[in-house]
Amino acid sequence: MILALLIVLLAAGGMIAGLCERVRKGSARWLALAILVAASLLLLGEVSAFPASDSGAGWWYELSLPWIPRFGIHFHLAMDGLSFSLLLLTLAMGIFGLLVTWNQVSDRRGFFYANYLWVLAGITGVFTAVDLFLFFFFWEVMLIPMLLLIAIWGYEGRTAAAIKFFIFTQASSLLMLVSIIALVFIHFRTTGEVTFGYQALLSTRIDPETAYWLMLGFFLAFTVKLPSIPFHPWLPDAHTQAPTAGSILLAAVLLKTGAYGLMRFTLPLFPEASQAFAPVAMTLGAISVVYGAVLAFAQSDMKRLVAYSSISHMGFVLLGVYAFNAIAMQGAVVQLFAHGLSTAALFALVGALQHRLHTRDMNRMGGLWEPLPKLSAFVLFFAVASLGLPGLGNFVAEFLVLLGSFGRSAPQAIIAALGMIGAALYALVMVQRSLFGPPSPRQEGSAHVGSPAAGGASAPPVDLSAREWLALLALALALLFIGLRPQPLMDSVAPALEKALADLPPAEAAVSARQSPGLGGGGKP
Amino acid sequence: MTIMELHAILPLLTLTGGIVCLMLQVAFFRSHGAALGTTLVVLLLAICASLLVAAGLGNGIPSVQATALLLVDRQALLLCTLLLLAGVAVAILGRSYLRSRAIIPSATDHPEAFYILLLLCLLGACTLACASHFASFFLALELVGLSLYPLLGFPLTGNGFAAQEREPAMESAIKYLLLSALTSALGLFGIALVYGATGALEFAAVAAAIEGPAAASGLMQAGVTLVLAAMAFKLSLVPFHIWTPDVYQGAPTPVTALIATVSKAAAVAILLRLLTLSGLGEETITTSLLTVLAVASILGGNLLALMQDDVKRLLAYSSIAHIGYLAVALLIDGAFGGEAALYYLIAYIVTTLGAFATVSLVADEAVTDVDRHNAAGMDPCAGTYFAGLFWRAPLLGGCFAAMLLSLAGIPLTIGFIGKFYIFAAGIEGELWLVISAVIVGSALGLFYYLRLLLALFRRDHQRAAANGTARQVSLDGQLLLLVLSVTLLALGVFPQPLINWLHALYT
Repeated sequence: MILALLIVLLAAGGMIAGLCERVRKGSARWLALAILVAASLLLLGEVSAFPASDSGAGWWYELSLPWIPRFGIHFHLAMDGLSFSLLLLTLAMGIFGLLVTWNQVSDRRGFFYANYLWVLAGITGVFTAVDLFLFFFFWEVMLIPMLLLIAIWGYEGRTAAAIKFFIFTQASSLLMLVSIIALVFIHFRTTGEVTFGYQALLSTRIDPETAYWLMLGFFLAFTVKLPSIPFHPWLPDAHTQAPTAGSILLAAVLLKTGAYGLMRFTLPLFPEASQAFAPVAMTLGAISVVYGAVLAFAQSDMKRLVAYSSISHMGFVLLGVYAFNAIAMQGAVVQLFAHGLSTAALFALVGALQHRLHTRDMNRMGGLWEPLPKLSAFVLFFAVASLGLPGLGNFVAEFLVLLGSFGRSAPQAIIAALGMIGAALYALVMVQRSLFGPPSPRQEGSAHVGSPAAGGASAPPVDLSAREWLALLALALALLFIGLRPQPLMDSVAPALEKALADLPPAEAAVSARQSPGLGGGGKP
Repeated sequence: MTIMELHAILPLLTLTGGIVCLMLQVAFFRSHGAALGTTLVVLLLAICASLLVAAGLGNGIPSVQATALLLVDRQALLLCTLLLLAGVAVAILGRSYLRSRAIIPSATDHPEAFYILLLLCLLGACTLACASHFASFFLALELVGLSLYPLLGFPLTGNGFAAQEREPAMESAIKYLLLSALTSALGLFGIALVYGATGALEFAAVAAAIEGPAAASGLMQAGVTLVLAAMAFKLSLVPFHIWTPDVYQGAPTPVTALIATVSKAAAVAILLRLLTLSGLGEETITTSLLTVLAVASILGGNLLALMQDDVKRLLAYSSIAHIGYLAVALLIDGAFGGEAALYYLIAYIVTTLGAFATVSLVADEAVTDVDRHNAAGMDPCAGTYFAGLFWRAPLLGGCFAAMLLSLAGIPLTIGFIGKFYIFAAGIEGELWLVISAVIVGSALGLFYYLRLLLALFRRDHQRAAANGTARQVSLDGQLLLLVLSVTLLALGVFPQPLINWLHALYT
């Protein structure tokens, strides 16, 4: 019940926030904040009251109502450790995005916050739906408010970026829809039962060739969202053109739905086919790591740099998921969180810089440390987190992924490890070009732009406010916590990952499943 | 003809009687409002009659054969109800259209004729839905066509219409007349060939003859091809689509809505019946022709729509693609194909009506506002006129956005469930080629739907402030849009009741 309540709260809250802005200016963001906090408390309260003893057995909560009985479609929501931690990330990032962009949205605020909450409602649905039709429903529905966020409040090239984003994700998900329906038909022919239920479909017997094709449909939809090379072209544009809050949601949460889909659906539904496809997927992941890093290095637009670094980071996720052992898989999950936190913070910082300097071009920055010490310190912190400094979350994640995948397929792991050198390069270059060096180009730049809001070239930009500072500090601490003590996170998602790996040919899964608790701590410095 | 047969065709009789009454009324009492009132009453009575007959059917009597010409079953009655409801919407749009153009009332304006022609068109469409004989099939098809010619050219009748509306309307009417006459002749020739091959005109008798050697004969195959070509013209499937964009663009927008929904729904209805009753659906020639038509329409319609700026032309090409999607469901024989086709048809009608209703109401507002806001004489159907519509008229913009999302097949809307049905039908029949065409077509379609959708939300458009608001949009027009949007969302989120109805038709 709580899951449905959560979705309804967010969806209805969006509508109410939109209407409230008409009555009283400035009320929408307060209302949105209140709703997000209420939703988080609701989730945490319910889970802490729940007896943790049998959490390993299956779903923590379930709600199943008949929706379209003609096709055996149920409004079926359920939650386990993986869903719960991703939900928590979703809500936390929702609050973070709201706080750091508190004053940045000035135009049509009511509709903005309505869309903001609707995206979160859709994502909540994606993370909890265990009926394939319902999952697809939320998968599509979350895109529409995101599309509007980019297209209405984005930067200069917003319309093209929004259309590109939507066509990439929609076209690939149509392939998934075909796969879903084909899977249901096969299930119907063998058992005589029409159902879209996840549990029922898990047991479907499919001949290997068909399974391979169906698996590809799912894989495409999820890797476009992830994104992995060669399905990434939508991401740099969408991230760069989206408003700051939109970029945060995209990077921190929306990309995670792709990885979640791979772990929850592709692997368990088609274990043999995934196994056969693993070399290709791991190669794609490894190439993404290097490719994202190389392209990030070549950018002068700071936001684009962060966007390309996302491709690189998500390459590790793909590599880890398809290594088919518990270590790499847990590394992939930790990477989801570490990347979510660090990239969201970097997008927030770029947004804050753009709000102050009216440019994202690093050629026009430089020497920012002096006027903006707090902001610059945070840029430095999250940049080194992004390059995988030991002690922070990203290091644990990438280390685990490399460790797990090396045993499975060494060449891909080696290539991906090379990508980490690239990460060091682009992160340090970004810090070097924006924070240090001579400050002069920026002043000229802003004088040329002549933006009246900045108060001319002479007025120094304002440093972080207490609100922004606290929000960023919370993220930094969370990242540090994951880096020093990843075990609680890994424990909570372990049962779900074991289920994902359970159907694999026994020799591979059995070895790795036992090792995870001991090696999890190995990531600690 | 027994009482039971007369009772079965009650909807058609109601319509016929209503048309006579309306003509008499207009002869004695000229009033736009009264004519509209009578039309609506007739339509509502006919809808009630359909439901009454449908309630009587079912317990033991699945269908009533009223003479050799008409077969009344639940599917036909459901389609009649649907057509009549679409007729109600067109009548409401027509009122707004005629009102906004009758700036100077004069004796030479005859707006009442619009409603008589509308009812005639609906009578033809409903008859088509019930036809079970090639004679009634052809007569009904011609009745629809004959009433559409004057409707398409309606701006030529009065002097309230601006010159820039008369010329396209003339073009539209002439084009439709010529091409429609040509394909009618082809269809008639096809019917003659089928008769030559089988010796029968009743669908059921054709089915019996097809079992024998007649099916393989060249005569039969040529006949079927010609009949299908005539239907493809009415459905504007590629390559018989040439007339569509020009006719849609030039016609008064309510009539465009009529031709896009009622005329096509009637054609789908008779095609469904033709394929099942006469056993043609299982012939290779039919399925291969339909496959080619479907794939060509999906790809052609979507590709051509990419280049359109005029909203009516864009919707014209998109309707070509949508009928292509629908044809996929016709390829599946058996109950599921019929169910899928009907659901998609309902989705198509609701969405298309809503889209054209918005275009029509926006254009009506622009015509009324011509002195104050639209002095530049901007074409109210151009894509640029719609920029920022959501901000200056939230209701119109919001409803139009919902319609576009439904056309694109995004969840929460009825269009998604329709597309789901098409995919399910294609997968059941294992028509992988056709399915890949549907996927490619949908991806192409997204591009132009989204471009228009995002234009609605464009916030920095200079004209946004200069343009009028929704003040001028009539209350009944707004209400109609609201009803259509609510239907679209309700059937998109809770499709089960409608699915139950459709499913019951075939069990």
